[in-house]
Order: sequence, then structure tokens, then C-alpha cells
Amino acid sequence: MRRKNITPENTEFVILCFEGLDHYSLAGGLGVRVDYLSATLAEMGFPTHLFFIGDPELNGEEVRHRGKLTLHRWCQWISRYYPNGVYEGENEKLYDFNESIPWFVKDRVVKPAVAQGKLVVILGEEWQTAEAMCRLSDVLHYDGLRDKVVIFWNANNVFSFHRIDWGRLNYTTTITTVSRYMKHIMWRMGLNPLVIPNGIPKSLLQKVDDRMADEVRRALDADLILCKVARWDPDKRWNEAVEAVARLKEKGLKTVLLARGGMEPYGQEVLNNARSLGLTVIGAETKPDSSDGYLAALQEAPPADIIDIRFHVPLDFLRVVYRAADAVLANSGHEPFGIVGLEAMAAGGIAFTGGTGEDYAIPFVNSFVLETADPMEIVGYVMYLREYPEESTRIRKAGRSTARYFTWEAAVHNLISKLENQARIQGTLGGIPMPSVPQFTPAELMATIVKRHY
Amino acid sequence: MAQDLVIYAVVHQPRRIKLPAQPIPQGATPKDIEHCLFDDRLNEEYFRKVATYCYYPATEMFLELASGGLKFSIGFSVSVLRQAEAWDRKLFDLFRQLARHRNVELVNVEPYHSFLPLLDLRMFAKRMSWARHHLEKVLGKRPEVTDTTEMLMSDGIYHALDKLGFSGAFLDGRPWVMEWREPTHLYHKGKDMMLLARHYQLSDDVGYRFSNKGWWGYPLFADSYAHWLREAWGDFVVLAWDYETFGEHHSRETGIFDFMRHLPEELSKRQIVTLTPSEAIAKYRERSFYLPLPAFPCTWAGQGGMEFFLGNAAQQAVFLLMLQAYNKALLTKNQKLIDLALWLIQSDNLHLIQWFGRWGSDAEVSAYFTPREWWRLGPSGIIWEMQQVYKNFIQTLDAYT
Repeated sequence: MRRKNITPENTEFVILCFEGLDHYSLAGGLGVRVDYLSATLAEMGFPTHLFFIGDPELNGEEVRHRGKLTLHRWCQWISRYYPNGVYEGENEKLYDFNESIPWFVKDRVVKPAVAQGKLVVILGEEWQTAEAMCRLSDVLHYDGLRDKVVIFWNANNVFSFHRIDWGRLNYTTTITTVSRYMKHIMWRMGLNPLVIPNGIPKSLLQKVDDRMADEVRRALDADLILCKVARWDPDKRWNEAVEAVARLKEKGLKTVLLARGGMEPYGQEVLNNARSLGLTVIGAETKPDSSDGYLAALQEAPPADIIDIRFHVPLDFLRVVYRAADAVLANSGHEPFGIVGLEAMAAGGIAFTGGTGEDYAIPFVNSFVLETADPMEIVGYVMYLREYPEESTRIRKAGRSTARYFTWEAAVHNLISKLENQARIQGTLGGIPMPSVPQFTPAELMATIVKRHY
Repeated sequence: MAQDLVIYAVVHQPRRIKLPAQPIPQGATPKDIEHCLFDDRLNEEYFRKVATYCYYPATEMFLELASGGLKFSIGFSVSVLRQAEAWDRKLFDLFRQLARHRNVELVNVEPYHSFLPLLDLRMFAKRMSWARHHLEKVLGKRPEVTDTTEMLMSDGIYHALDKLGFSGAFLDGRPWVMEWREPTHLYHKGKDMMLLARHYQLSDDVGYRFSNKGWWGYPLFADSYAHWLREAWGDFVVLAWDYETFGEHHSRETGIFDFMRHLPEELSKRQIVTLTPSEAIAKYRERSFYLPLPAFPCTWAGQGGMEFFLGNAAQQAVFLLMLQAYNKALLTKNQKLIDLALWLIQSDNLHLIQWFGRWGSDAEVSAYFTPREWWRLGPSGIIWEMQQVYKNFIQTLDAYT
């Protein structure tokens, strides 16, 4: 009898990605994504294999989560020549990845799993894995295994779309992406991706220490605190944020923008623009290693309109800043998913998202959605919140509720449902499907499902 | 009427480069560079295929024939021996058994089947000397007669080999080399080393045309062939073939093995005696003739001239890159890198692109040798990627110069 659902007993997962969880492998959000995705799958009981460009000094293979997650650190022999991180020597790594991954996955993961009667799900992330995924589909086909495997390839961003053989990728895999915004971009290319949003770890739903948030407010001693965490990139609309600060200052409000960018040279352009608008900019260079240290860095910073935070701030403290801020500006003009906005909402902050339509953002309900690039739009909403503090409280509460629907557990349930559908199309799953009930489902909805199906 | 027959076959498999070209990490070790340059997985696949269809059945056949009294000679490139040692020890032992047979003479071959005789005669001489010792060590017989790469011979090559003390060497008996002379005599170029001229027409009747249904001589039977051999003017006929003729170029179904199994009997009926090359040299040395050798190298490939390897722009470009790669490797004085450069100057790398810009039977032959896996790159893609392999190697040597 064919299986009806994807369960930890009958399915193994393979994730292919360049970025990963090692410090060597982290470059942006992608590494964090696969870290949480693989860990969530493993915690749910699914045997999971994560292939990524790992630290060359660590073991090539490592098992975690009580044996459920196997890390395969790939291209280590190349990474030894390129110590500066995952994307150094990218072309060399890409070639080796494409050449070796398909055979290894087929022979060492898929074949043994299929021999045990299991379904295998292969998830590929980003353009670097596109060719390997196509080749993997081919080698599985040659060995008569392709129908036992469901292959999803995911686009997190539009980076290097021009390097992808879309015809081949679309034929050999099911293409997915992280948001409706990205889906619409890909529609224009003639593609039809499924949407499987990102998630946040459940731990981010924990309440932020309000006393700590108060300390941050006191440290900055401002009428308004704005916060922005993003790469220095024109897409992130930094200048809109900076100009909003200038307008608020003109209105006589002491406003501080906590700016955490990256290493990109565009940051200098933004900060020069800020200075030309009459804003004072200081850089906070201290590298503290504790929450008290981070707080002290803010306390010790001289008064300024913009504090350019030049050290790594761990998510724990960022959440405190999100909570403390009057607005978290996640106002990108192009934002595939918008994880910062979601993290801010989970922390009880108020997210100001951009107009690209983050799937989680409902304007005036759980966030503010900026429809334009006009800084006065930011100014208007900030002033509104200042005028109506009860609205701030309401929106913060609604934001935290929304964040519950976007945990990694929820994202994985979404993923599994779509995998099951694809598997039924392929004929790998059959029979009348049993509904997969996510853990967060409200009790009254649970009752309806139970009544209908059991 | 020729009454003696010298048969020679050479066994070789190329060490194919990896296409598309693999980028080489900066500062990579020679071992890692090697991994990036050569496609061992593909080489093993092809080796095993040829072993199944050719090496096993042909070697078993030749062992039978040798045991039945047929005398012949065989050469092995180090390239194929290393592959056999790595991937099929049983076959390697069978090769050794054949080489050691009392009726078989082991012939020296340019070890990597490279273009060293064209690039650097001094290094070529060193390598040929090394190959001689290596073959003696590995196969248990010391070669006295030598071949080169693709039977390349020229005035310079002759002198280099003569200095090494070989008693004889093969060359292809093309009209433009032999001029008015028949290839059915023993020759020399004024030194001690004798020259055995391959009868290209009679050799190609089997090696090239055996299964060609459009050929007037098809189907070729052992009795007809033996008659042609007997009718050849001169002292003796030298036949020389790729070993892969038997089972690979001409499959078992063409009857090539049956043909060979019947040949000794037909030879015997016509009083044709098979000799090893050394026996032919001993017998005809006193009746050998002077042969002026061309400055331009001749070869048994194609029409006998270097145009087979250097006739199109793609080959010329890759050859220039070979020169650069080899010479820059010498500058590093790193023996492992020099060794890699020697592999990169294998003649096969030009043979495989002989089809570029051509059509007809010659182009078909080399297109046949081009790995089918490369064709997905398209003709221009193959040329581009091949050049990239050399460019990557040349650039990588920066770390060592």
C-alpha cells in the first residue's frame, strides 16, 4: 500500500546549499535559513542531510540532533586555499560541487534510503545549487530512481538568475521561492514557483526583557528611537531612513537612528548624505561580548543623530533594540522576504516594512507598510504612534501574534504539504491523504479538522 | 616477394583531461592541480569498456597465437599500464604474461604518448631511457627496439634514439618519406640504429578498413590477406596497428578475431615466417639500406604528416598552449609539475580535435575518439574548454615560479 503522507518514518531530507552553519559558511541570511530549516526537520524526527561549503578545519561529516542531522562539509580541499569564507574561490567550489554532489547523494543517500522503502526529498537553495540539482535529477533518472525522489529548488533572491539554465531547472525540479513578491518577479520570467515562506526560530517568540529595553531607551536619551539593520545597499532605502531622521529633527524631536549595516562601501555614501543633511554621525566601534557590554557601548557613545554600529550585534541584543525602538525600519524597495521585519515583530517591536508586500505584514494591524520611498511617510507614521501610544501597544501585540504563524515549524509544515502534493503528482504518494496538522493550529480549528476527518 | 612478416601492436589509453575545465585553486598543491586537470572517472569508464571489448579478448587471442608459434611485438604506453594497474589488476597481469611470452618482443614506447619528441629532444631522450627501465621493471623484459608517439620519426628523433642504444625503431613507410623506396626492406640513417618501415597500406587494410563495407576489399579474409602479404615486393613486411583495432575499432562482430586466428595458418601455407623486430634486424642488418629522413616529422596518423595534429587553427592554438605549459613548468624546476605538463602534452589532446573545421573520413576517425561526454559542450565549447585547461595550468604555475 502506498504511503499517504510524508512522515519521519518514511522520508529522508537532503538540503544542498553553499552557505551553512559554520562561521566560515555564514555570509548572510541563507546560512541562517538552512541552519534553522535543517535543525527543525531533524527535531521533527526527519533524517536530514545538509551539504554545504563547510569550514575546512572541521570534520567532513558531523552528526547532530540525536543522529537525525548529518552535516556534510563539502569542498573542504578547496576551502583550505581560500580561508576568507564561503564565497572566496566560489567558481572553484562551484565546479567541484556540481561534479561531486550528484553522484554522492545518489549513491550514499538516495539509494540506501530507497532500499529501505523511503521517499527522499531534495531541497536546493539558490543559484549555486541549480546545476547540481539538474545533474542530480539526471543521474537519478538514469538509475531509475527519479520517481522515488521529490526535488524542490528554492530562490531566496534574484542573485545570479542570469546564470541559471531555467529551462532545465524547471524541467528537472519544482521551483519554489520565499514570498509572493518573489513569485511575481519570477512569473515575469515565465516561471511558476510555489511559495514557501521563511521562518523564525520558536525561541524568538520569547518575551524580551522590558527592563533591558528601558535601559536602551535611557542610554540613548532620545524622543524617538529608530532602528535599521540591513546591508548598505540602495535596495534597502537607507537614504529614506536618514532623511526621515532629518525631518523629525527639523520638527524639534530628538531622534536617534541606530544603524547596523555591513562592510559595503555604499555605507559611506549614506553617512555622507546624512552629514550633508545636518545630522551628526558617530561610529560605535567597541566590540563588547555581553548584553551589558553592548548597552555600555550605547551609553558611552556621544550624543548623535545616527549611531553607526560597527560591531556584530547578536540577535538576542538586537531583539532588545527592536523592542526599545519606536520603529524598526525594514523599508526595502526590493525585499524577497523581509526577515528583519518578522524578527522585530516577534520581539514586540514595530516593523515598518517596505512596499514589496512582505507576506506577514498587514498595515495598521501588525505593522506599517510603507508604500512609497517618501521619507515623510515614515515621519507621518512615527508621529502617529507618538500621538497614539495605545496604537503602539496594540500593534506590538498583534505583531507578536503574527510571528507565531511564521516559525520554522510552521514553515516546515507548509513545505511538507507542498511536498506531499508534488509527491502525489509524481505517484510516489497515494491514497486519500491524511491532513498534516501543524502544532500552532488554534484549538477551535483543530476541533473542526478532527471532526471532519476522524 | 616478402617472405618474412613483422607484426607490431601498441596499447595505449589517453589520460583524458577534464572538460569543462575545472578552475584550479590559487596555490594548489600538485596533487590538487592533478585532480583538477584530469578526468579519472571518465578515464576509468573508458578503460573498463575497452578492456571488456578489446583488451581481454585480444590479449587472450594473442596469447593463443603466440603459443601456437606466431611471433610479434607489442608496445605499452605507461599511460595504459598505470590505468590497468589502478583499475584492473587481472588485466595488468595478463598484459605482463603476454609481454613475457618467448614469442613476443616488448617494444619501447614514448611513455606518456606525448609530443616531447617535437618539443624537447633532450628531455625526450631522458624519458625514453626512463621508459625502457620502467618497462623492464614492470613487465620483465628490456626493450631493444623502440616506437615513439604515433610512430613519429624525423632526423632529430632518429639521432636522439640512436644515442640511447636502441637497435631499431619504427617509422611509417609513407611515399613522401620513402620516396622511391619500398617499405619492405631494413633501413638506417647512417648510424647503428635500424629503421623498420611500416607498410601503411597493408597495415591500414586491417587497422583502418577491415569493417568498411564500402571498401573494395571488404570482406577481408585471412587467405586473401596472406596472399597480399606474400605478393609484396621486398624482404619483409612490417604491419603495425593500434592494439584497440581488435575489438574496439572493429568489434568482435566484424570477425576481426576470427580473421586473426586464421591468419597464422594462411601465412604458413604461403611460407611466410613471422619474426620479432629484433630477429628481422639481425637477419637483414647486412642488407640494410640508407634512408634519408625528413626534417619534418612523419607519423602513422592520418596522411603521414603533422597536418593530422597541427592542421587546423584549434590544434595550433592548443599546441602553442602546450609549449607554454611545458616550458613554464620547466621554469618551476618542480618535478611533479613538470610531470603534469608532460601529461598535458599527450598527442591525444590534438588528435581529439582533428575534426575541427574538417569533414570526411579523417575527421570521422578523430570524432570517434572524442569522448561522447564532451559533445554536450558543442564543437566550439570543446575547443574553448580545452584551451582553458592549459590556461588554468599555466596560471596556476605562478605560485611556483
